[in-house]
Amino acid sequence: MLEIVTGIIAGMVSGIGMGGGTILILILSLFYGMDQHVAQASNLIFFIPTSIAAIYINIKQKMIDFKIALLIGGIGSIGALLGSYLSKQIDSNLLRKCFGVFLAIIAIHEIYSYVKMYIYAKKRDNIDNKEIKDRRN
Amino acid sequence: MRKKTKNINIMKKQIIIGIMAGVISGFFASGGGMILVPAFVYLLNMGEQKARATSIMAILPMVIVSSIFYMKSDYINWSVALYCAAGGIIGGIIGAKLLKKLPDKILKIIFILFLIYSSVKMIFF
Repeated sequence: MLEIVTGIIAGMVSGIGMGGGTILILILSLFYGMDQHVAQASNLIFFIPTSIAAIYINIKQKMIDFKIALLIGGIGSIGALLGSYLSKQIDSNLLRKCFGVFLAIIAIHEIYSYVKMYIYAKKRDNIDNKEIKDRRN
Repeated sequence: MRKKTKNINIMKKQIIIGIMAGVISGFFASGGGMILVPAFVYLLNMGEQKARATSIMAILPMVIVSSIFYMKSDYINWSVALYCAAGGIIGGIIGAKLLKKLPDKILKIIFILFLIYSSVKMIFF
């Protein structure tokens, strides 16, 4: 039951577009005390049906650039093979710490993009306001 | 001539983006989107929504490849994975519908705080 709730939370987060997979892994690993490798593997299985549903919706809305998706997907598969091989080589506890570092990097990036978006929006508002003023004059 | 070098540059970018996203995707079994979405937006000048949609499709083959690898290494706990997946489908539909209605700003802050808390706990405890 708890797993289903976790899945719903992670699915919602990915639906909103904010890294549902990382949420799923960290809940399984941090709160359920699952082995890091097993938690990560669960996310892979989790991703397949959820992403197919998302792709279906996106195709209907014509939001996918197929050429790039297939190219990056193909090249990325080679990278994924290498990545999962490396992941298997290292101890679960170390992998967990690496994942923690990865989360920290994501957090920093999110803060950066948040600040940038906020400041950008504010600046744009100012420019808009100025234009309106200029037009009035 | 100039167009040709430009194309080669784009190609180079795409290969680097692909390999990086793939390695991260395989190593952490997640996070491909975290690489791809900003890469698509900033390096390939894609719109945000299109970048998200395209990234999901690009990640799917990487995930399938990693899944096979993880399966062979016996890392998959099927009951947990399938329950999560079932929840994920429900959550995904709710999330997609909510996407336009939710206050982005507040969610982002909650998400960031949660990430910081988790990363500290994972690294140090």
